[in-house]
Order: sequence, then C-alpha cells, then structure tokens
Amino acid sequence: MEPLERLYLDALLEDPVEPTGTLRPQLLAGARARRRPAAPTAPWAEPYAGRVAALDALLASAVDDDWSRVIVEGWTLQELVAHLAAKDGLLAASVGAPVLGPELTAADSATRTAHVQAYERSRDPEQTRRDWRAQADALCRHLAGLPAGTPATLDGLEAPAADHVLARMLETWVHTDDAARTARVSLPHPLPGHIHPVADLCARLLPWTMLLSGLDASGRGVRVTLTGPGGGEWNVALGVEDPAPPAEPDAGITADVVAFCFLLGGRGDPASFPAELTGDRALARDVLATAPALSGP
Amino acid sequence: MEAPYDDRLLHQRVVGGDEAALGEIYDRLSSLIFGLSLRVTRDRVIAEDITQEVFLIFWERPLAYDPGRGTLRAWLATIAHRRAVDHVRAEERRRVSTLGPRLFERAPDRLEDTVLAADQAERVRQAVTALPDALREAVELAYFGGRTYRQVGEELGVPEGTAKSRIRLALRRLAGALAEEEV
Repeated sequence: MEPLERLYLDALLEDPVEPTGTLRPQLLAGARARRRPAAPTAPWAEPYAGRVAALDALLASAVDDDWSRVIVEGWTLQELVAHLAAKDGLLAASVGAPVLGPELTAADSATRTAHVQAYERSRDPEQTRRDWRAQADALCRHLAGLPAGTPATLDGLEAPAADHVLARMLETWVHTDDAARTARVSLPHPLPGHIHPVADLCARLLPWTMLLSGLDASGRGVRVTLTGPGGGEWNVALGVEDPAPPAEPDAGITADVVAFCFLLGGRGDPASFPAELTGDRALARDVLATAPALSGP
Repeated sequence: MEAPYDDRLLHQRVVGGDEAALGEIYDRLSSLIFGLSLRVTRDRVIAEDITQEVFLIFWERPLAYDPGRGTLRAWLATIAHRRAVDHVRAEERRRVSTLGPRLFERAPDRLEDTVLAADQAERVRQAVTALPDALREAVELAYFGGRTYRQVGEELGVPEGTAKSRIRLALRRLAGALAEEEV
C-alpha cells in the first residue's frame, strides 16, 4: 500500500464515522447464511472443526477446472474430498454418529474410500462438497456430547476418540494444503492452540511409527523440541511398552512444529528434513526416517 | 508491507470458521470502512450496504486475503473503495441514461486497486502541505520517509512521545481538512 494511502486511512481513523448499531447483528446473521461457521463441538475436537471450515473456504472458490484437477494419489479434488468424507464417516460409525453417503458395507478406509468416490463421481462437485461438510459437521455435533477418552477404532487402530479426531484434523489439514498448493492459494496455519494438540499426538505416535517400521528402540528416548506457534517440548519414550521416558534422552530433535506434523502426515522427505539433531544422531535419524509410517493416502 | 501478528491471528480464526473473530474485526474496522465508503458515495444507506458487503466478502472468501502481502485494513479498504466507486459510476451512468447522452464523457479514473482516486490523492497531498511545519515534518518522516516514531523524534530533536503526539495531531488536522473540503 502506498504511503499516501496509509496516511489517508490513518487520518480517517482519527475522524470516526459510525454506522448504525443494527449493522453489526445484521452482518453476523448474514455471515451465517453466506458461509457456515465451524460446527459446534467438544473443545478437543475444535482443531478438527476448524480445519473442516478452512477446507470448505478453499472449496468455495473452486471452479469446474479445479474440481477435475489431480491433487494427490492420482485423485481429483472431488475424489480427494470424497476420500476425506469416507474416513470421517468411518470414525463417525465407530463413535455412533450418523454415517452419510452410500450404505456402509466396508470398515477399512481403502474400500470405503473407493465406495464413496464411486458414489460421488456421479454427482456434482458442489454436492460432494456439501456431502463431505455434512458428514464432518455431523461427526462434530456428535462428539460435542462425548468424553475425550471414548474408545474408537479406525482401520483396526483402537485409540481414544480425541486422538482419532486429531488424526482427522491432521489429514484434513495436509490435504487442504495439497489443494491450496495446486490452486496457488496461500493457506494460513491453524491457530497455535489448534496446532499444539496435533503436535502432541505426533510426538506420542513416534514409538508406534518406529515399531511399524520394524525398529525396536525400547528403553530409549528422544527429546523433541518443536519451534513456532503451537510448538513445545516432548520427552518421548521410544518403546510402545516403556512405562516412562528415560530421565536423560538419548537424542534430541529440534524442528519447526508445522513441518514436523506434516512429516508425520506423509509430506516432506525425512532424509532432507530440516532439523537440528543432538546426542545419538543415528537414533534421531531413525526417528525421522520412520515418522511418516502411519500416514496413509 | 506484511500484516501484523494481530491481523494474522484474526485471519487464521476467520479461515477456521470462527464467527466471533468476524465480530472483532468489525468492531475494529467498521468505522474506517464505513467512513471511507461514505466519503466516496455520500450516502449513509449505500455506505452501510457497502460496509456490510465488505465484511461478508472477507468472511465468505477469507483465503483471497494474503497477510504476507499487506494489512487487513488495507485489504478491506481497497474492496470498500472499489465497491463505492463502482456504485458512484453506476449512478452516473443511470443519470446519463435518463438525461440523454453527453457530448463529452469524462474518462474513468483507474482506481481498481487503490483506496484513493487521483483527485482525492491530490487533496491529501495539499492538506499535508498546509499543515504547520512541525506537524508536516513529523508526518513526512513517518509516512514518506518510513521512519519509526523513535527515529522521527531523533531527527526532529524531540522525545519519541512528542513525535507521536505531533503525528496524531497532524492526522486529526488532516481528517478535519479533508472533511471540510468534501462538504
């Protein structure tokens, strides 16, 4: 903005003219009609509801060409949105929330994704967008009345509903980022308060990603320092059955919190991942190399 | 110029579908957006419509705004200005069509991505020139010289607080001068 324009706006601020008081409530009511706010839900599911609203905002600008463009996994934007709806629906089924879309006949996400994609392909992309949003909002509303520790299962993985919904948040976030990159839209990060619990989940997943990759680091530990808004420090035990992390971690990893979450989400190459490693560097490199192990499509 | 942290946080909240954030942005910027629209359209009802529309556009398409490229205030002001100018032009066209064609049609200004039309910009420049020297110098250093309040104080040999109050006083005088000219 030109200095003169900045000066003009600053001068206007010194001479405030107020619109009538009824404009504010009118605006907020109008806003609801133009774009649905994040669905009301349990506090621990808010990071997910926020990412759903963000993806919906991105989809609002999508035109025909955007919907048929391949984003990731060989899927078009419409198929990608159907994939998210499929996995959200599986979590919904697991916690007793309504499942929308085609009849639920498969409990694994690959088959369910194929079913929902086949169903949505014959529909208008805007309908797919509405179907996905309706499924996500139905899940959010249902979670509002559940304790965070409610057991839930997705793809054979049993965990508290709160962890599953954070994993849904990460996947929705990663795919929104995929779609935003394709559309050349700059996507702001989620709020620090929404990033932090996902970073916490990612840190807690490290013993599992090691195990799934066939590496046994039981009894060893890593200190993970994640920088940037929403970051923090985690002392992680690398064995899934370790009662507690060792008092002195064997290795240290310092990295950007968003890059780290995305690494767990299958984005970025572990070999060139920008991180500062200390202590047992070979162990730290193993942790990074195996970090994407739980990321699916 | 990049957006300050507050703008980024409010933008993040709006992208995440937080209605309360829209209310906060309205509280902070509505008088500016309304004032700007009113100055261009000179019609309170139209200016309120434009104000409402500007905030609705931001709520509906928050990703159109990129905090890496400017402040939220400038973004909303630019949309408001464009809308207000569109309205004025549409009104002129309507008047022209009822009065019959004119022999000479004034060429439209190019102001698609600005908050100041050329003639208004000239008025702001003149109003700055008409300020008392002490105020004018402070404003020129701060806005055209890109100095901070502290640097303005150093260059003028006055405390930072004095530099700041001179700039505020100058802004108030400018606002008054611009308002008078428009009556």
